[in-house]
Amino acid sequence: MGGLFTALNAGKTSLSVNQKSIEIIGNNISNVNTEGYSRQSAELTPYPSMNFGGFFIGQGVLVSDVSRDHDVFVTNMLQEKSIEFGLQDGQTRALSELERVFPIGEENLSTEVNRFFDSWQELSANPSGLVERDIVIQRGELLAKKFNTTTDDLNTIKENINDSIISKIDSVNSQIQEIADLNERIFTIEIQGQTANSARDRRDMLAKELASSLGVQTYYDSKGMMAVQLPGGLPLVQGLIPMELEGVQNGSDLDLVLHTGGVTRTIGLNNLGGEFEGLVGIRDVFIPSVQDDLDRLAYEIIESVNLAHGGNPTLANPGGGPGGSGLDSSTGIDFFTPANPLPPPPASDPWKDAARNMSVAITDSYQVAAAQVPVPPATVAPGDNRNALIISNIGENYLIDGIDNFGAYYGKLTARIGIESSQNQLALGGAEDAMIQLQNLRDGLAGVSLDEEMINLIQYQRGFESSAKFLTTIDEMMGALIELRR
Amino acid sequence: MKATEGTTYRMLQSNLGRVSTRLEELRTQGATGIKLNQPSDDPSSIRPVLTTRTQIMHTDRYLETMGVTLDKMQATDGHLEHVENILQRVKEISINAINGIMSPQDMTIFADEVGNMKQELLDAANAMVDGKYIFSGYAENTKPFVRNPNYNPDQTVPVPPPYDETDSTTWPYLYMGTPNPTELEITPGEMLEANLTGNDLFLGVSNSNWIDSTTTAPGQPESGRVDIFSILERTEEALRAGNIDDPLGPGGGLNVKLDELEVAADQGRRLRSQLGNRATRVDAAMLHQKDVLTDLKQILSRYQDADAIETFNAIVQQETAFQAALSITSKVSKISILDYF
Repeated sequence: MGGLFTALNAGKTSLSVNQKSIEIIGNNISNVNTEGYSRQSAELTPYPSMNFGGFFIGQGVLVSDVSRDHDVFVTNMLQEKSIEFGLQDGQTRALSELERVFPIGEENLSTEVNRFFDSWQELSANPSGLVERDIVIQRGELLAKKFNTTTDDLNTIKENINDSIISKIDSVNSQIQEIADLNERIFTIEIQGQTANSARDRRDMLAKELASSLGVQTYYDSKGMMAVQLPGGLPLVQGLIPMELEGVQNGSDLDLVLHTGGVTRTIGLNNLGGEFEGLVGIRDVFIPSVQDDLDRLAYEIIESVNLAHGGNPTLANPGGGPGGSGLDSSTGIDFFTPANPLPPPPASDPWKDAARNMSVAITDSYQVAAAQVPVPPATVAPGDNRNALIISNIGENYLIDGIDNFGAYYGKLTARIGIESSQNQLALGGAEDAMIQLQNLRDGLAGVSLDEEMINLIQYQRGFESSAKFLTTIDEMMGALIELRR
Repeated sequence: MKATEGTTYRMLQSNLGRVSTRLEELRTQGATGIKLNQPSDDPSSIRPVLTTRTQIMHTDRYLETMGVTLDKMQATDGHLEHVENILQRVKEISINAINGIMSPQDMTIFADEVGNMKQELLDAANAMVDGKYIFSGYAENTKPFVRNPNYNPDQTVPVPPPYDETDSTTWPYLYMGTPNPTELEITPGEMLEANLTGNDLFLGVSNSNWIDSTTTAPGQPESGRVDIFSILERTEEALRAGNIDDPLGPGGGLNVKLDELEVAADQGRRLRSQLGNRATRVDAAMLHQKDVLTDLKQILSRYQDADAIETFNAIVQQETAFQAALSITSKVSKISILDYF
């Protein structure tokens, strides 16, 4: 009878192991669409064999471990690629907004500049016409307004970027906190000898998401805990301790700071990767350079028109110019408000804020200087159009830095934005493709395939059935034994 | 390595996404007819497009200016014809007076007629178009010709200074305008004088010599040029006094005046033909600029317009690809191991 009881025991282990395996398959099938889930499988090992009368007989089967399919190489590749993907993705929205601010359709800044100088040309055909003079002032105002609103739009984009960053900081902080918690959980579980499969899956997922948002690097320390750090080495998670990111408003700017155990550090562009790097890069590097070019364009227009209109000395032209004369013989009147506001900007950048502050200084159409300055005591003749002809030619002939006229300069600025945007779209497409391929690769190694699970299901079901059949047989044999003595 | 459901659907989804994005772009192109909608579509063609648009705007403006110029020249020419007719008539009267046996009453009638002609000339010289005087240079609101209150035809009276053909302040009519013809830009960098100044046409004082009505213009009389008003005034004086051939008498003698009338008519004709030449130049420039405009529009179109047939073909192609992707996606979902259980 001893042998029969042993066999019964072995059968019992088989039943429970098969049941367990089917449970695990059920878990896999339920999680077929869970992102970041690694397929789990049971590790079956036979019970240690025991010595029965000189023979080693096995005692059944047991589940030694539930392990997950996992490839470290692919996981790391995926994390790396997420950084690149995050970077491009972060830039996309801001760049497409920029493209909207600098359109190249029929209505753009260059069209307004052209219309302004065209109104002077129209004035030259009828210099005493009050309607034409009013149109010149109006077109000047529209041009100034266009520069103002373009600057406002650029600031709005910067504010939107700041809002995006603020909204992401909370979720980043909670992810950092969760990694620290998972570190503890995994450590506790695995010290007892089990593998914490779903916790590890979750930790890998969080690492990938953080890589995409912040461009973090991860490594495993001596205790097997995941340490997370920003590019440049600043730590986000060390062992069980999470750090905290915060966005600090500094006037109209937003600074990122990291609280690391009592020390607060400001995070600059070289400490960021991924989406944050993309957003901050556009906000702190690209947009300011676009704004600078815009300011330069506004400044050159203001200076060149004022020099020909009033001839007053300026920072760039201390000697002044000949200027022209209005219908009321007024001279020395600036058309646009001069571009050097108080306090004086640094000498290397005299056009700072020129676009934001651009405005027309004259309101009286009589003061539009279409005529040349008369030699006193003569007064201005109403048909004198010589200064109007000079000003109308500034649009084509004035060269910024001796290279570009106004239209060409705007064209260069817009082309720069266009190139940046189209390169970003290409890079984003490439990164997306790479991500998809890597994810497919990962699925191939660690994902759940319904076909595979179904077949395994059949396998374990049959195993269960045959064990049950075995137990029935043993039961009949025991019954027969007992029947021997009625 | 296995292909999981996740893999399959991920591939299908990304491909569908790609095809439908491309389809959207093509549809936008087809609907607007423009393939350059954003800077990122074609950064290298932004600058030529903007430059070409600027040039088109300038060319339109030049065509407009040339139209205005031709109008001004037309108006001027009409008056020049009138001046020529006046001079012709005065010449006929003078010849009549010289050749015929005329009684003092006949001479008086002739003198009166010449007086009327002089008034007509004054009206022509003070002509207005669009509310502005056309012969007064830049001073378009100032009447160009007024009677000189100090005109003294009598050589024997010393004060005020008697008529002297070298001193413009003693002439019968003074010019109150400026010696600047209106210059307009008709093609890039090219200026054209669109009208004539009163001093040039009527007083025979070239623009570089005329200063103002109170200052004597230097270098008078200029060779081949005369003051038409003086001639008419003195012809009238000569007719009234019956002075045919005394150069020192009133009006300086009709014979002398006849020669001067011929010079005056030549002066008018010469300036009129100069104006005509300039008008021809403007006409030619207008035709040329219209051609330039067509070329510019063609260049612009090449950069920014989408070829309709090409776009249509691309749309059809993408739609086919889209359809194929959609049908494969649905077929995949029909085949499953679960059907066989």
